[in-house]
Amino acid sequence: MALLDISDLHLSMRSFEGETPILKGIDLTVERGQIWGVVGETGSGKSLTGLTISRLLPNTTARYTGGQVLFDGKDVLRAGERDMRALRGGRIGMIFQDPTTNLNPSFRIGTQMVDAALHAARDKPAILGLTGRESRRARRRAAWQASVALLESFGLHDAEDRMARFPHEFSGGMRQRVLIAMAMIGQPDLLIADEPTTALDVSVQSQILRLIHRLVEERNIGVMFITHNLGVVAQLCSHVAVMYRGRIVERGPVSKVLKAPEHIYTRALMDAIPTARAQMDTLRGIDWPLRDRIEAEIAATAKEVTA
Amino acid sequence: MSKPLLKIEGLGHVYGARRGLFGTSPAFRALTGIDISVARGESFGLVGESGSGKTTLTRNILGLERPSEGHVLFDGHPVIDLGRGGERRLRRRMQIVFQDPQASLDPRMTIHDTIAEALVIHGPDLGIARSGYTRRVLDLLEAVGLGREHLYRHPHEFSGGQRQRINIARALAVEPELLILDEPTSALDVSVQADILNLLQRLQKELGLTYFFISHDLGVIRYTCDRVAVIERGRIVEQGPVAKIFDTPSQDYTRKLMDAIPDPDPDLSPLRRLA
Repeated sequence: MALLDISDLHLSMRSFEGETPILKGIDLTVERGQIWGVVGETGSGKSLTGLTISRLLPNTTARYTGGQVLFDGKDVLRAGERDMRALRGGRIGMIFQDPTTNLNPSFRIGTQMVDAALHAARDKPAILGLTGRESRRARRRAAWQASVALLESFGLHDAEDRMARFPHEFSGGMRQRVLIAMAMIGQPDLLIADEPTTALDVSVQSQILRLIHRLVEERNIGVMFITHNLGVVAQLCSHVAVMYRGRIVERGPVSKVLKAPEHIYTRALMDAIPTARAQMDTLRGIDWPLRDRIEAEIAATAKEVTA
Repeated sequence: MSKPLLKIEGLGHVYGARRGLFGTSPAFRALTGIDISVARGESFGLVGESGSGKTTLTRNILGLERPSEGHVLFDGHPVIDLGRGGERRLRRRMQIVFQDPQASLDPRMTIHDTIAEALVIHGPDLGIARSGYTRRVLDLLEAVGLGREHLYRHPHEFSGGQRQRINIARALAVEPELLILDEPTSALDVSVQADILNLLQRLQKELGLTYFFISHDLGVIRYTCDRVAVIERGRIVEQGPVAKIFDTPSQDYTRKLMDAIPDPDPDLSPLRRLA
């Protein structure tokens, strides 16, 4: 059984102007040990796909109009809020783009780490080496020690001392390490990373990519890595799904898709990356004539499928 | 060689010890012995990680900070202690585009008013009468790939890439000679980034602009610039023509920055997992 199996997912968002279809039939399967890059531009629906898996969309505006999302065989779209709360931070870890807004500025790093650890340990006390019958104090101590150990292993020196500090005393890369640690402390099976390196420098980005890669090697988790940069996908991921306006237009192993992209949109995204080898006047953005051709090709494939 | 447009000599900057609410912060040396010379019509890149001193250097060039040592000369003249009129005249010749296209536009002003504001201040120097503002704004919008229909919209009605085009149009409104670009594309999608970089290349050719381009992405620098300086902890560690620095970097730090550029060729990845 696949770790994550999304089939024919349809999502609409309601607003004053009516209902807009956002996801139009997403199919995606993530196995343990795989790093799936989900690539697309702003507005393609890649983040909403990620948020759907942990059901973090407000149910006042988001309406699932079809399909299912099976996590370890269980449909999360039909799960109760209680079950979802156990999944989030327990079996599904999440990290987001902006490491600053995802940490509370008025609490120490240690306090926030321990909270995350204790939340995850409610259902899985074993992650802190507990049986579930210890005192509150013993649980706190265990959570503290596990947090220090995890931060140390993520390359944060003097973790014990840093736990007593506030988020503003950390650099962007360090904050993102803390957030990855908070996501990983519950020993999740699936990590959803939504543009975790977009706000970082390229050199810090490469350190974070190494860290995520190591986590997959060591713990055999599955990763869904959302990004707009195919260069990052080529560096890190084993598989890639290219999204355009709520659909996956091309998917497969990175070695195949990025070496010989078949879809015009995948090629367009690749032509836009300034590499160390790029020469003057060779980059190509996605302008309107090109966008028209992409739309035409997508319409043509859709017709083939129905015919 | 003709006289450089921008000359930075022995520039050093120390942020002084300050007494704040929570105690005294020690003095911090942000820049040491910076020597840079940018020729007219050239595109000069500055690359370094966060905290390397890129922003402090920019603020010194703009005359927003007083250097602790050395000086910054624009067209042979210092950029500080100019008085009100002198500062306004300098600002007309030197403009900047910032990283965050959202934060640098006033959400309550239409695009017309945003761009025309620069003309209200500098119009007399440029010889543009009040009645000519709208014409000029339209020309500028067209130059950056926007149209008449965008004239009276507000910033929230635009995408990030379009907003950055508006910022570029506003900077160009006063016909500057030097354009400082402070990470103009790092908040944008890669596909939009490519468009903006191409736009900047075209504008430079058409208007004969001089660029001072700041980025942490060596790929972007390589694509846009003629020469590059690599800055690490407030010092220039390497400087020269882009092709030379990229093909034969002499510093480990430069090599490290180059290795960090995510290349879309999976064969070049040290991390890729075999599918």
